[in-house]
Amino acid sequence: MLGNDIVDLVVSRKESDWKRVGYLDKIFTKREQSLILKAQNPDLMVWNLWSRKEAAYKIYNRQTGIRAYIPLQLECFNWNVINGIEYGKVVCNRAIYYTKTEVTDEYIHTIAVIKMDDFDAVHYINDTSTIQKINGIPNWIDPNTSELKPISISHHGRFTRRVSLI
Amino acid sequence: MKKEAIIEKLKVIVKPYVKNQEAFDNLTESTDFITDLQINSANLVDVILDVEEEFSIVIDNESMEKMITIKAALEIIETKLSEKC
Repeated sequence: MLGNDIVDLVVSRKESDWKRVGYLDKIFTKREQSLILKAQNPDLMVWNLWSRKEAAYKIYNRQTGIRAYIPLQLECFNWNVINGIEYGKVVCNRAIYYTKTEVTDEYIHTIAVIKMDDFDAVHYINDTSTIQKINGIPNWIDPNTSELKPISISHHGRFTRRVSLI
Repeated sequence: MKKEAIIEKLKVIVKPYVKNQEAFDNLTESTDFITDLQINSANLVDVILDVEEEFSIVIDNESMEKMITIKAALEIIETKLSEKC
């Protein structure tokens, strides 16, 4: 099980005004808001945290079958930077999702998994002909095993990422 | 306020964030903000803030969690408006 989310920073700057009164309160906990306000680059921190929450939500949605708008229930923790990649976790009720976030000038991309080891099994899918939707949920046929595996697709602005576990 | 009037106001609110014009043109109560109208999830906050301003109501977190479809939004707006009276 995995989830991923990409934010096109050019699009997010153009289409979202996070400085709007009340905006941060609706989607970030007090602790997260203080991280944003203290950050060297608050804009990047907003989208960094947001992509973590979105990636984690995609797993939550698959696991529970529940669709809801729950950014406040998905809280981001931990900040370990290894070789420029940020590792953290998102906690939702009692569930923990592990996140791996890449931050560039153009985009922020987060992959969320349910156990740390899964990061080693992340595989990017470029061949869209192997993707099948079942009840609206995308799956991918592993050509080596013919097995149907969950795939997470994220599209924003100029970027698309399709990831699965092998 | 009549249901139809609320839906008309909702349409004006969501319009700037809609990415799927066809779904917007064929909007019904079961229309989903994210999967049908393809509103970016970060813009759903704007929809919620706009609804609060337009109807002079406060959408608490519990209500916000349900704000996925026109129907859910309608029910929340109706409830909050009736609480005001």
